[in-house]
Amino acid sequence: MRSHSFLRLLAKEFRELLASRAFWLLLLFVGFLVGHSFTTAVALYAEMSGSGGPAALPQGLTPLDGVLVPTWGAYDLAATLLFPFVAIRMVSSEKESGALKLLLQLPGTLGSKLAAKGLVLLFAWLVAWLPGLVAIVLWRSYGGHIYAPETLNLLLGHLLRGLLSGGLGVAAAAIADGAASAAIITLAFTVGTWALDFVAAGRGGFVQQLASYTPTAALRSFEQGLLRFSVVVVIAIVSCAGFFLAAIWLNIGRTIKFRLLVTLALLIVTAVAVVSGANLRASRDLSENRRNSFSTVDEVALRGIKQPLKITIFLSPEDPRLTDFEQNVLKKLRRSLDKLDIEYAATTRTGLFDSEEHYGEIWYELGGQKVVERSTIEEVVLDQIYTLSGVAVPDRSADEGFPGYPIAAQPKHAAAIFYFFWPLFVIATWWLLRRL
Amino acid sequence: MLSVEQLTKTFGSRRVLADVSFTIGAGEVLGLIGPNGAGKTTVLECLAGLLPTNSGAFTYNGSPLSSRRRKEALFYVPDGILPWAPQTVKWVLTFFERLYSQAPEKLAALVGPLRLEEIGRSRVATLSKGERKRVLLALGLLTSQPLLLLDEPFDGLDLRQTRDVMTLLRSERAAGRTLFVSIHQLNDAAKVCDRLVLLNAGQRVAEGTLAELQAQANLKDGGLEEIFLALT
Repeated sequence: MRSHSFLRLLAKEFRELLASRAFWLLLLFVGFLVGHSFTTAVALYAEMSGSGGPAALPQGLTPLDGVLVPTWGAYDLAATLLFPFVAIRMVSSEKESGALKLLLQLPGTLGSKLAAKGLVLLFAWLVAWLPGLVAIVLWRSYGGHIYAPETLNLLLGHLLRGLLSGGLGVAAAAIADGAASAAIITLAFTVGTWALDFVAAGRGGFVQQLASYTPTAALRSFEQGLLRFSVVVVIAIVSCAGFFLAAIWLNIGRTIKFRLLVTLALLIVTAVAVVSGANLRASRDLSENRRNSFSTVDEVALRGIKQPLKITIFLSPEDPRLTDFEQNVLKKLRRSLDKLDIEYAATTRTGLFDSEEHYGEIWYELGGQKVVERSTIEEVVLDQIYTLSGVAVPDRSADEGFPGYPIAAQPKHAAAIFYFFWPLFVIATWWLLRRL
Repeated sequence: MLSVEQLTKTFGSRRVLADVSFTIGAGEVLGLIGPNGAGKTTVLECLAGLLPTNSGAFTYNGSPLSSRRRKEALFYVPDGILPWAPQTVKWVLTFFERLYSQAPEKLAALVGPLRLEEIGRSRVATLSKGERKRVLLALGLLTSQPLLLLDEPFDGLDLRQTRDVMTLLRSERAAGRTLFVSIHQLNDAAKVCDRLVLLNAGQRVAEGTLAELQAQANLKDGGLEEIFLALT
């Protein structure tokens, strides 16, 4: 009986999705966005691969950076500016029309009704992926290279990004009086996370840790071929919390005071779960060029260091040396060393007028010894750490490095597919289904 | 079947229901009558669990009415809503028919009296007030709970439609279902209800059959309008 009711509710949500203009507009615009990103990326990749570009550029060229990330970047835009409206519409239309009063009385719990909405939203997001998947097929048809683990990791990132947007949209629609207010809440959240990203850049500590879970930052790690389990868990928890929040606020038979108290309890539980999830250190470097890892011999050598390493950095957040150091060294060290403590000691934001006598220095402390270094080059830093720990510097000569996959392909048929056939397909499908 | 005791509801500092008590007997049509703003819809929504109450108790067949039992015991059809506006009438009705596992004859029996055939292919969003009311009544009658709450079931209907709906409600009662209907048109209430609860300014003024109300108001042959004016 329960599964029978759930299937009926699922069918209702599916029909409501098909009747939603927001969904069809998402499909229509995402085709244009993906098409533009894909054709631009492929043309640029061809230029860099040798058709007119500097001779050194083709070395190390990876389709993940050159084609997949820019093409699928369209979905970051869609998840930020289009998909939340599909989610908002699924809740606010029933609130505004009064259908919610009937829905709440129908068989099944409020949780099962929201689960039906969640599943249909997931379906909507996956359907919106069709242009992106077509782009991957086109790329392969041009002879382009695809490395499955890093590609699937990128898709996982976009799946989580969509779930987060869906959870946020549903929660905003449940709390707000109407769709317009819900849209403002959603956009305010997005702008807030952008501000957090900006403020936290290179700052370290709790703020930077928090900022690493904003939608943009979380997606960035997937775009770099890194699967961080903490990001997966945190985004999944926050997305689910959005649906739980919606369940609290759609329960209109409860007083506002009760709903506020339960919301507070939910926030506390979510915060505890997020903090626990954020402490998961496990990660996998799924990039083909191992950009998130040191060479294999260095990783083996680093695993031999058992003492805690403390790094004190006298570089301000906006100093490009700190950005290099973060990307090329610290990110990899965090994955390689279990006991690593990093302190950001600069007191100014830009470093331009810093009178601190140690500015520019990086201190390494291990086993009671300390060395000061200014270089942010990977090999120099690693050698300092090996010297401090007494571990022999490994022989890196056998490391072959990443060959790169240059290809000077032109985006044939892409414009016709994304700018003509896809919109035609979307409009024709909408026209046929609205007659049902 | 169901008793409401000391029901009180405030919106901010405005008290819209004050210690309202009454009972609904099994198999009867109980009318909740009163002028606009008397608190009729608020009573129904509190009873349906769609509005929180400040105080009061609901007892169903001798036990407190929990959220779970409420869903099994009663279904409330609100007034003036536009459910699933982009869908066709036929689809919305079939959705309820299948959700409540009703036999196809049940919906077929409603199509004639509620004149649903002519609007079956129309989108809910395009319906007139009367058409929308007929669809909402059909949805309520397709549910299977023993107690059906209807908010203004005759509002927006013409004379002939009102008569047909009354017949339909009487046959529903004859089939063993209990009906609790809020009506502000007193003539209609007198025709369809077995007993009546009079509500005015959030307070229960009287409760009983027409004869009992006439006795309370000392109006031997008075109609509901005279009784209401005499008691308020």
